[in-house]
Amino acid sequence: MIGSFLQKIGSSARPFLPVASGFVFVLFSAVPLPFPYIGSIAPTLGLAAIYYWAIYRPDLLRPTAVFVLGILSDVIHYLPIGLTALVFIAVYQIALSQRRFFVKQIFFMLWLGFGAVSLLSSLVNWTVMSFYDGAMLPFIPVLMQFLMTLMIFPLPAWLLIKVQRRFLSQE
Amino acid sequence: MSSRTHRTGWVYTTAVSWRVVVQRFSFAFLLSLSLGLLIVGQSKPVLIETFRVRAIDGIAPVLDVLSRPMAMVDSFSGRIHAYRGLLKENARLRTENANLMKWQNAVLTLDNENKELRSLLRYKVEPSLAYISARVIADTGGVFVHSLVVTAGLLDGVREGMAAMTGDGLVGRIVEAGEWTSRVLLITDLNSRIPVMVMGSGEHAILAGNNSPRPKMLYLSQEARVKVGERVMTSGHGGVFPPHIPVGIVSSVEQGAIEVTPITALGRINQIRLIDFDLAGGAVNLMASEVKASENR
Repeated sequence: MIGSFLQKIGSSARPFLPVASGFVFVLFSAVPLPFPYIGSIAPTLGLAAIYYWAIYRPDLLRPTAVFVLGILSDVIHYLPIGLTALVFIAVYQIALSQRRFFVKQIFFMLWLGFGAVSLLSSLVNWTVMSFYDGAMLPFIPVLMQFLMTLMIFPLPAWLLIKVQRRFLSQE
Repeated sequence: MSSRTHRTGWVYTTAVSWRVVVQRFSFAFLLSLSLGLLIVGQSKPVLIETFRVRAIDGIAPVLDVLSRPMAMVDSFSGRIHAYRGLLKENARLRTENANLMKWQNAVLTLDNENKELRSLLRYKVEPSLAYISARVIADTGGVFVHSLVVTAGLLDGVREGMAAMTGDGLVGRIVEAGEWTSRVLLITDLNSRIPVMVMGSGEHAILAGNNSPRPKMLYLSQEARVKVGERVMTSGHGGVFPPHIPVGIVSSVEQGAIEVTPITALGRINQIRLIDFDLAGGAVNLMASEVKASENR
Protein backbone atom coordinates (compact mmCIF):
# COMPACT_ATOMS: atom_id res chain seq x y z
CA MET A 1 0.00 0.00 0.00
CA ILE A 2 2.63 2.48 1.16
CA GLY A 3 5.00 1.14 -1.48
CA SER A 4 2.57 1.85 -4.30
CA PHE A 5 1.84 5.27 -2.83
CA LEU A 6 5.54 6.07 -2.81
CA GLN A 7 5.84 4.74 -6.33
CA LYS A 8 3.04 7.05 -7.41
CA ILE A 9 4.77 10.03 -5.83
CA GLY A 10 8.04 8.89 -7.35
CA SER A 11 6.63 8.62 -10.83
CA SER A 12 4.90 11.97 -10.61
CA ALA A 13 8.19 13.55 -9.52
CA ARG A 14 10.04 12.14 -12.52
CA PRO A 15 9.26 14.98 -14.94
CA PHE A 16 11.01 17.35 -12.53
CA LEU A 17 14.29 15.42 -12.59
CA PRO A 18 15.96 17.49 -15.34
CA VAL A 19 15.24 20.74 -13.48
CA ALA A 20 16.25 19.15 -10.17
CA SER A 21 19.51 17.85 -11.63
CA GLY A 22 20.26 21.31 -13.03
CA PHE A 23 19.57 22.79 -9.60
CA VAL A 24 21.90 20.33 -7.84
CA PHE A 25 24.65 20.80 -10.45
CA VAL A 26 24.50 24.58 -10.18
CA LEU A 27 24.72 24.42 -6.38
CA PHE A 28 27.41 21.76 -6.42
CA SER A 29 29.70 23.92 -8.56
CA ALA A 30 30.01 26.25 -5.56
CA VAL A 31 30.53 23.64 -2.84
CA PRO A 32 33.91 24.07 -1.16
CA LEU A 33 35.98 21.08 -2.28
CA PRO A 34 38.68 19.55 -0.10
CA PHE A 35 41.32 20.00 -2.80
CA PRO A 36 43.24 23.25 -2.78
CA TYR A 37 42.94 25.64 -5.73
CA ILE A 38 40.47 23.53 -7.66
CA GLY A 39 37.92 26.17 -6.79
CA SER A 40 39.67 28.73 -8.94
CA ILE A 41 39.02 26.63 -12.01
CA ALA A 42 35.80 25.08 -10.76
CA PRO A 43 33.96 23.66 -13.71
CA THR A 44 30.65 25.14 -14.69
CA LEU A 45 28.63 22.01 -14.07
CA GLY A 46 25.26 23.68 -14.64
CA LEU A 47 26.13 24.22 -18.28
CA ALA A 48 26.53 20.47 -18.80
CA ALA A 49 23.05 19.80 -17.42
CA ILE A 50 21.42 22.50 -19.58
CA TYR A 51 23.17 21.20 -22.70
CA TYR A 52 22.32 17.56 -21.99
CA TRP A 53 18.62 18.04 -21.30
CA ALA A 54 18.19 20.50 -24.22
CA ILE A 55 19.25 17.65 -26.48
CA TYR A 56 17.57 14.67 -24.82
CA ARG A 57 14.49 15.96 -22.99
CA PRO A 58 13.80 19.60 -23.89
CA ASP A 59 10.13 18.91 -23.09
CA LEU A 60 11.09 18.55 -19.42
CA LEU A 61 13.39 21.56 -19.21
CA ARG A 62 11.58 24.66 -20.43
CA PRO A 63 13.36 27.95 -21.23
CA THR A 64 11.87 29.58 -18.12
CA ALA A 65 13.50 26.94 -15.90
CA VAL A 66 16.80 27.44 -17.75
CA PHE A 67 16.54 31.16 -17.10
CA VAL A 68 15.85 30.65 -13.38
CA LEU A 69 18.81 28.25 -13.09
CA GLY A 70 21.02 30.89 -14.72
CA ILE A 71 19.89 33.56 -12.28
CA LEU A 72 20.50 31.14 -9.40
CA SER A 73 24.02 30.50 -10.64
CA ASP A 74 24.69 34.25 -10.87
CA VAL A 75 23.45 34.74 -7.32
CA ILE A 76 25.67 32.00 -5.90
CA HIS A 77 28.80 32.84 -7.87
CA TYR A 78 28.49 36.58 -7.22
CA LEU A 79 28.43 37.29 -10.95
CA PRO A 80 26.42 40.14 -12.49
CA ILE A 81 22.77 39.03 -12.40
CA GLY A 82 21.75 37.97 -15.89
CA LEU A 83 25.16 36.85 -17.17
CA THR A 84 24.82 33.11 -16.64
CA ALA A 85 21.11 33.35 -17.48
CA LEU A 86 22.10 34.82 -20.85
CA VAL A 87 24.68 32.08 -21.43
CA PHE A 88 22.33 29.27 -20.35
CA ILE A 89 19.49 30.51 -22.57
CA ALA A 90 21.82 30.86 -25.55
CA VAL A 91 23.37 27.40 -25.03
CA TYR A 92 19.91 25.89 -24.55
CA GLN A 93 18.66 27.40 -27.79
CA ILE A 94 21.74 26.33 -29.75
CA ALA A 95 21.57 22.77 -28.41
CA LEU A 96 17.83 22.65 -29.07
CA SER A 97 18.27 23.73 -32.69
CA GLN A 98 20.87 20.99 -33.25
CA ARG A 99 19.24 18.25 -31.21
CA ARG A 100 18.00 16.23 -34.18
CA PHE A 101 21.62 15.89 -35.24
CA PHE A 102 23.06 15.14 -31.80
CA VAL A 103 20.40 12.69 -30.62
CA LYS A 104 21.58 10.09 -33.14
CA GLN A 105 25.31 10.62 -32.60
CA ILE A 106 27.85 8.72 -30.54
CA PHE A 107 28.99 10.13 -27.21
CA PHE A 108 32.16 11.64 -28.64
CA MET A 109 30.12 13.96 -30.89
CA LEU A 110 28.03 15.01 -27.90
CA TRP A 111 31.26 15.83 -26.09
CA LEU A 112 32.58 17.78 -29.08
CA GLY A 113 29.34 19.75 -29.26
CA PHE A 114 29.65 20.54 -25.57
CA GLY A 115 33.18 21.77 -26.20
CA ALA A 116 31.85 24.22 -28.79
CA VAL A 117 29.09 25.64 -26.59
CA SER A 118 31.27 25.86 -23.50
CA LEU A 119 33.96 27.70 -25.46
CA LEU A 120 31.27 30.11 -26.60
CA SER A 121 30.08 30.54 -23.02
CA SER A 122 33.66 31.23 -21.84
CA LEU A 123 34.04 33.91 -24.49
CA VAL A 124 30.74 35.57 -23.55
CA ASN A 125 31.64 35.46 -19.84
CA TRP A 126 35.06 36.93 -20.46
CA THR A 127 33.75 39.73 -22.70
CA VAL A 128 30.94 40.75 -20.35
CA MET A 129 33.14 40.59 -17.24
CA SER A 130 35.86 42.64 -18.92
CA PHE A 131 33.24 45.28 -19.70
CA TYR A 132 31.93 45.09 -16.15
CA ASP A 133 35.33 45.47 -14.52
CA GLY A 134 36.44 48.06 -17.05
CA ALA A 135 39.64 46.19 -17.89
CA MET A 136 40.76 43.38 -20.16
CA LEU A 137 40.79 40.42 -17.81
CA PRO A 138 43.51 37.77 -18.18
CA PHE A 139 42.33 35.13 -20.61
CA ILE A 140 44.49 32.19 -19.46
CA PRO A 141 42.34 31.33 -16.38
CA VAL A 142 39.25 31.47 -18.60
CA LEU A 143 40.89 29.05 -20.98
CA MET A 144 41.86 26.81 -18.05
CA GLN A 145 38.28 26.78 -16.81
CA PHE A 146 37.04 25.91 -20.28
CA LEU A 147 39.46 22.97 -20.56
CA MET A 148 38.54 21.81 -17.06
CA THR A 149 34.82 21.91 -17.86
CA LEU A 150 35.47 20.05 -21.09
CA MET A 151 37.61 17.39 -19.42
CA ILE A 152 35.17 16.51 -16.69
CA PHE A 153 32.11 16.56 -19.00
CA PRO A 154 31.93 12.73 -19.22
CA LEU A 155 31.30 12.56 -15.46
CA PRO A 156 28.18 14.75 -15.26
CA ALA A 157 27.07 13.36 -18.62
CA TRP A 158 27.37 9.80 -17.28
CA LEU A 159 25.28 10.75 -14.23
CA LEU A 160 22.62 12.38 -16.42
CA ILE A 161 22.55 9.39 -18.79
CA LYS A 162 22.00 7.12 -15.75
CA VAL A 163 19.17 9.34 -14.51
CA GLN A 164 17.56 9.40 -17.94
CA ARG A 165 17.83 5.64 -18.56
CA ARG A 166 16.60 4.76 -15.08
CA PHE A 167 13.72 7.21 -14.69
CA LEU A 168 12.96 8.94 -17.95
CA SER A 169 13.24 6.31 -20.68
CA GLN A 170 10.75 7.30 -23.34
CA GLU A 171 8.33 4.46 -23.97
CA MET B 1 -20.74 15.27 -34.96
CA SER B 2 -18.69 16.36 -37.91
CA SER B 3 -18.83 19.98 -36.83
CA ARG B 4 -17.59 18.91 -33.40
CA THR B 5 -14.50 17.20 -34.86
CA HIS B 6 -13.93 20.26 -36.96
CA ARG B 7 -14.05 22.48 -33.91
CA THR B 8 -11.62 20.28 -31.96
CA GLY B 9 -9.25 20.38 -34.90
CA TRP B 10 -9.46 24.13 -35.03
CA VAL B 11 -8.78 24.48 -31.32
CA TYR B 12 -5.94 22.02 -31.59
CA THR B 13 -4.18 23.75 -34.49
CA THR B 14 -4.58 27.14 -32.85
CA ALA B 15 -3.17 25.78 -29.62
CA VAL B 16 -0.21 24.21 -31.39
CA SER B 17 0.61 27.31 -33.42
CA TRP B 18 0.13 29.44 -30.31
CA ARG B 19 2.59 27.22 -28.51
CA VAL B 20 5.18 27.62 -31.27
CA VAL B 21 4.74 31.40 -31.14
CA VAL B 22 5.08 31.40 -27.35
CA GLN B 23 8.23 29.27 -27.59
CA ARG B 24 9.86 31.54 -30.16
CA PHE B 25 8.78 34.56 -28.22
CA SER B 26 9.89 33.24 -24.85
CA PHE B 27 13.42 32.65 -26.15
CA ALA B 28 13.72 36.22 -27.40
CA PHE B 29 12.01 37.53 -24.28
CA LEU B 30 14.26 35.66 -21.82
CA LEU B 31 17.37 36.58 -23.76
CA SER B 32 16.51 40.28 -23.69
CA LEU B 33 15.45 40.01 -20.05
CA SER B 34 18.92 38.65 -19.17
CA LEU B 35 20.59 41.39 -21.17
CA GLY B 36 18.36 44.00 -19.54
CA LEU B 37 19.21 42.71 -16.06
CA LEU B 38 22.91 42.82 -16.93
CA ILE B 39 22.70 46.43 -18.08
CA VAL B 40 20.52 47.58 -15.19
CA GLY B 41 22.67 45.68 -12.70
CA GLN B 42 25.82 47.54 -13.68
CA SER B 43 24.85 50.49 -11.51
CA LYS B 44 24.21 48.07 -8.61
CA PRO B 45 20.64 49.12 -7.81
CA VAL B 46 19.45 48.33 -4.30
CA LEU B 47 16.64 46.15 -5.62
CA ILE B 48 18.98 43.71 -7.35
CA GLU B 49 21.43 43.64 -4.44
CA THR B 50 18.59 42.94 -2.01
CA PHE B 51 17.33 40.18 -4.28
CA ARG B 52 20.79 38.58 -4.34
CA VAL B 53 21.11 38.67 -0.56
CA ARG B 54 17.62 37.26 -0.02
CA ALA B 55 18.16 34.53 -2.59
CA ILE B 56 21.40 33.39 -0.95
CA ASP B 57 19.62 33.37 2.41
CA GLY B 58 16.93 31.22 0.84
CA ILE B 59 19.21 28.55 -0.62
CA ALA B 60 21.65 28.59 2.30
CA PRO B 61 20.12 25.45 3.90
CA VAL B 62 20.68 23.46 0.70
CA LEU B 63 24.24 24.77 0.34
CA ASP B 64 24.81 23.95 4.00
CA VAL B 65 23.76 20.33 3.50
CA LEU B 66 25.78 19.95 0.28
CA SER B 67 28.94 21.38 1.84
CA ARG B 68 28.89 19.10 4.89
CA PRO B 69 30.11 15.84 3.32
CA MET B 70 32.99 17.70 1.68
CA ALA B 71 33.98 19.29 4.98
CA MET B 72 33.90 15.79 6.52
CA VAL B 73 36.17 14.36 3.82
CA ASP B 74 38.51 17.26 4.42
CA SER B 75 38.64 16.79 8.18
CA PHE B 76 39.12 13.02 7.72
CA SER B 77 42.07 13.43 5.37
CA GLY B 78 43.43 16.06 7.73
CA ARG B 79 43.21 13.58 10.59
CA ILE B 80 45.11 10.92 8.65
CA HIS B 81 47.83 13.45 7.93
CA ALA B 82 47.91 14.37 11.61
CA TYR B 83 48.31 10.72 12.73
CA ARG B 84 51.27 10.24 10.43
CA GLY B 85 53.35 13.00 11.93
CA LEU B 86 52.15 12.63 15.51
CA LEU B 87 55.52 12.02 17.19
CA LYS B 88 57.32 14.79 15.37
CA GLU B 89 54.41 17.15 15.94
CA ASN B 90 54.43 16.34 19.64
CA ALA B 91 58.11 17.13 20.03
CA ARG B 92 57.69 20.36 18.10
CA LEU B 93 54.70 21.37 20.21
CA ARG B 94 56.60 20.68 23.45
CA THR B 95 59.39 23.08 22.50
CA GLU B 96 56.88 25.58 21.20
CA ASN B 97 54.86 25.30 24.39
CA ALA B 98 57.91 25.91 26.56
CA ASN B 99 58.67 28.94 24.44
CA LEU B 100 55.11 30.20 24.61
CA MET B 101 54.99 29.82 28.40
CA LYS B 102 57.87 32.25 28.61
CA TRP B 103 55.97 34.59 26.33
CA GLN B 104 52.79 34.24 28.33
CA ASN B 105 54.63 35.26 31.48
CA ALA B 106 56.09 38.21 29.67
CA VAL B 107 52.70 39.22 28.30
CA LEU B 108 50.99 38.93 31.68
CA THR B 109 53.67 41.04 33.34
CA LEU B 110 53.44 43.60 30.55
CA ASP B 111 49.66 43.54 30.72
CA ASN B 112 49.77 44.27 34.43
CA GLU B 113 52.30 47.00 33.94
CA ASN B 114 50.21 48.39 31.11
CA LYS B 115 47.11 48.50 33.32
CA GLU B 116 48.98 50.28 36.07
CA LEU B 117 50.43 52.83 33.67
CA ARG B 118 47.02 53.36 32.10
CA SER B 119 45.42 53.99 35.44
CA LEU B 120 48.20 56.49 36.17
CA LEU B 121 47.51 58.24 32.87
CA ARG B 122 43.70 57.88 33.10
CA TYR B 123 43.88 56.23 29.66
CA LYS B 124 40.50 55.48 28.12
CA VAL B 125 40.40 51.74 27.54
CA GLU B 126 38.73 50.85 24.27
CA PRO B 127 36.44 47.86 24.11
CA SER B 128 38.15 44.67 22.99
CA LEU B 129 37.37 43.08 19.67
CA ALA B 130 34.55 40.63 19.32
CA TYR B 131 34.68 37.67 16.98
CA ILE B 132 31.90 35.97 15.08
CA SER B 133 32.70 32.47 13.89
CA ALA B 134 31.17 31.12 10.69
CA ARG B 135 31.38 28.11 8.43
CA VAL B 136 32.02 28.39 4.69
CA ILE B 137 29.13 26.92 2.67
CA ALA B 138 30.01 28.13 -0.81
CA ASP B 139 33.35 28.87 -2.38
CA THR B 140 33.03 30.73 -5.63
CA GLY B 141 36.71 31.05 -6.25
CA GLY B 142 35.88 31.18 -9.92
CA VAL B 143 37.74 32.81 -12.74
CA PHE B 144 36.09 36.20 -12.38
CA VAL B 145 35.11 36.46 -8.73
CA HIS B 146 36.87 35.25 -5.59
CA SER B 147 34.35 35.09 -2.78
CA LEU B 148 32.91 32.88 -0.04
CA VAL B 149 29.44 32.50 1.41
CA VAL B 150 29.48 31.96 5.18
CA THR B 151 26.87 30.99 7.76
CA ALA B 152 26.61 34.19 9.79
CA GLY B 153 24.51 37.21 8.98
CA LEU B 154 22.84 40.31 10.33
CA LEU B 155 21.17 38.27 13.08
CA ASP B 156 24.60 37.27 14.37
CA GLY B 157 25.83 40.84 14.27
CA VAL B 158 27.61 40.74 10.91
CA ARG B 159 27.85 44.05 9.09
CA GLU B 160 29.23 45.07 5.72
CA GLY B 161 32.92 45.93 5.78
CA MET B 162 33.88 43.57 8.59
CA ALA B 163 37.27 41.91 8.29
CA ALA B 164 37.25 38.14 7.78
CA MET B 165 40.17 36.06 8.97
CA THR B 166 41.30 32.55 9.76
CA GLY B 167 43.71 31.63 12.53
CA ASP B 168 46.55 32.48 10.16
CA GLY B 169 45.52 35.90 8.97
CA LEU B 170 43.24 38.09 6.90
CA VAL B 171 41.23 36.51 4.08
CA GLY B 172 38.89 39.30 3.03
CA ARG B 173 35.97 41.47 4.03
CA ILE B 174 32.19 41.27 4.15
CA VAL B 175 30.57 42.81 1.08
CA GLU B 176 27.00 41.60 1.57
CA ALA B 177 25.18 40.58 4.72
CA GLY B 178 21.88 38.73 4.68
CA GLU B 179 19.83 37.61 7.66
CA TRP B 180 21.83 34.45 8.32
CA THR B 181 24.44 34.33 5.56
CA SER B 182 26.98 36.79 4.26
CA ARG B 183 29.45 37.13 1.44
CA VAL B 184 33.20 37.53 1.93
CA LEU B 185 35.18 39.12 -0.89
CA LEU B 186 38.63 37.53 -0.78
CA ILE B 187 41.79 39.64 -0.87
CA THR B 188 42.66 38.09 -4.25
CA ASP B 189 39.49 39.40 -5.95
CA LEU B 190 39.89 42.07 -8.61
CA ASN B 191 37.76 44.47 -6.58
CA SER B 192 39.58 44.01 -3.27
CA ARG B 193 41.65 46.93 -1.91
CA ILE B 194 43.21 46.62 1.56
CA PRO B 195 45.35 49.26 3.31
CA VAL B 196 48.48 47.41 4.42
CA MET B 197 51.96 48.04 5.72
CA VAL B 198 55.21 46.17 5.55
CA MET B 199 56.38 44.88 8.90
CA GLY B 200 59.73 46.30 9.90
CA SER B 201 60.09 49.16 7.43
CA GLY B 202 56.53 50.29 8.14
CA GLU B 203 55.96 51.25 4.50
CA HIS B 204 52.29 51.81 3.74
CA ALA B 205 50.57 50.57 0.59
CA ILE B 206 47.31 49.30 -0.83
CA LEU B 207 47.06 45.58 -1.44
CA ALA B 208 45.06 45.19 -4.65
CA GLY B 209 43.62 41.86 -5.78
CA ASN B 210 43.88 40.95 -9.45
CA ASN B 211 42.06 37.59 -9.62
CA SER B 212 45.42 35.80 -9.50
CA PRO B 213 46.61 33.92 -6.40
CA ARG B 214 49.06 36.75 -5.64
CA PRO B 215 47.70 40.28 -5.10
CA LYS B 216 49.93 43.29 -5.81
CA MET B 217 51.02 46.20 -3.62
CA LEU B 218 50.12 49.62 -5.03
CA TYR B 219 50.89 53.22 -4.11
CA LEU B 220 54.17 52.54 -2.32
CA SER B 221 56.34 55.61 -1.83
CA GLN B 222 59.16 56.14 -4.36
CA GLU B 223 61.97 55.44 -1.95
CA ALA B 224 60.34 52.40 -0.37
CA ARG B 225 62.61 49.35 -0.33
CA VAL B 226 60.65 46.15 0.01
CA LYS B 227 62.43 42.81 0.11
CA VAL B 228 61.17 39.33 -0.68
CA GLY B 229 60.13 37.48 2.46
CA GLU B 230 58.97 40.53 4.41
CA ARG B 231 55.64 40.23 6.20
CA VAL B 232 52.67 42.35 5.22
CA MET B 233 49.87 43.21 7.63
CA THR B 234 46.86 45.50 7.78
CA SER B 235 47.69 49.10 8.56
CA GLY B 236 44.32 50.02 9.95
CA HIS B 237 44.14 53.09 7.71
CA GLY B 238 40.64 54.01 6.70
CA GLY B 239 39.26 52.58 9.92
CA VAL B 240 37.72 49.56 8.25
CA PHE B 241 40.14 46.94 9.52
CA PRO B 242 41.94 46.60 12.79
CA PRO B 243 45.68 47.13 12.32
CA HIS B 244 48.32 44.38 12.62
CA ILE B 245 46.36 41.47 11.21
CA PRO B 246 48.84 39.35 9.21
CA VAL B 247 47.97 39.40 5.50
CA GLY B 248 50.81 37.81 3.58
CA ILE B 249 54.47 37.62 2.68
CA VAL B 250 56.20 39.52 -0.12
CA SER B 251 56.92 36.85 -2.72
CA SER B 252 58.43 38.81 -5.59
CA VAL B 253 59.74 42.29 -6.30
CA GLU B 254 60.21 42.94 -9.99
CA GLN B 255 60.41 46.31 -11.72
CA GLY B 256 58.30 47.99 -9.13
CA ALA B 257 55.62 45.29 -9.17
CA ILE B 258 55.47 43.78 -5.71
CA GLU B 259 53.49 40.57 -5.29
CA VAL B 260 52.27 39.23 -1.99
CA THR B 261 51.43 35.59 -1.22
CA PRO B 262 48.46 35.47 1.16
CA ILE B 263 49.32 33.90 4.50
CA THR B 264 46.15 31.80 4.44
CA ALA B 265 45.67 29.11 1.80
CA LEU B 266 42.61 30.75 0.26
CA GLY B 267 41.79 27.67 -1.78
CA ARG B 268 40.65 25.67 1.24
CA ILE B 269 38.94 27.56 4.00
CA ASN B 270 36.29 25.82 6.09
CA GLN B 271 35.94 28.13 9.05
CA ILE B 272 36.44 31.84 9.35
CA ARG B 273 35.96 34.46 12.01
CA LEU B 274 34.66 37.96 11.44
CA ILE B 275 36.06 40.81 13.46
CA ASP B 276 33.74 43.37 14.90
CA PHE B 277 35.93 46.44 14.65
CA ASP B 278 34.15 49.68 15.23
CA LEU B 279 37.06 52.13 15.05
CA ALA B 280 37.73 50.96 18.57
CA GLY B 281 40.21 48.35 19.69
CA GLY B 282 43.44 47.93 17.86
CA ALA B 283 46.52 45.84 18.15
CA VAL B 284 46.70 46.12 21.92
CA ASN B 285 43.14 44.96 22.34
CA LEU B 286 43.55 42.31 19.73
CA MET B 287 46.43 40.91 21.76
CA ALA B 288 44.61 41.40 25.04
CA SER B 289 41.55 39.55 23.82
CA GLU B 290 43.75 36.72 22.53
CA VAL B 291 45.41 36.40 25.96
CA LYS B 292 42.03 36.53 27.68
CA ALA B 293 40.75 33.84 25.36
CA SER B 294 43.73 31.61 26.10
CA GLU B 295 43.28 32.17 29.83
CA ASN B 296 39.64 31.16 29.60
CA ARG B 297 40.49 27.96 27.79
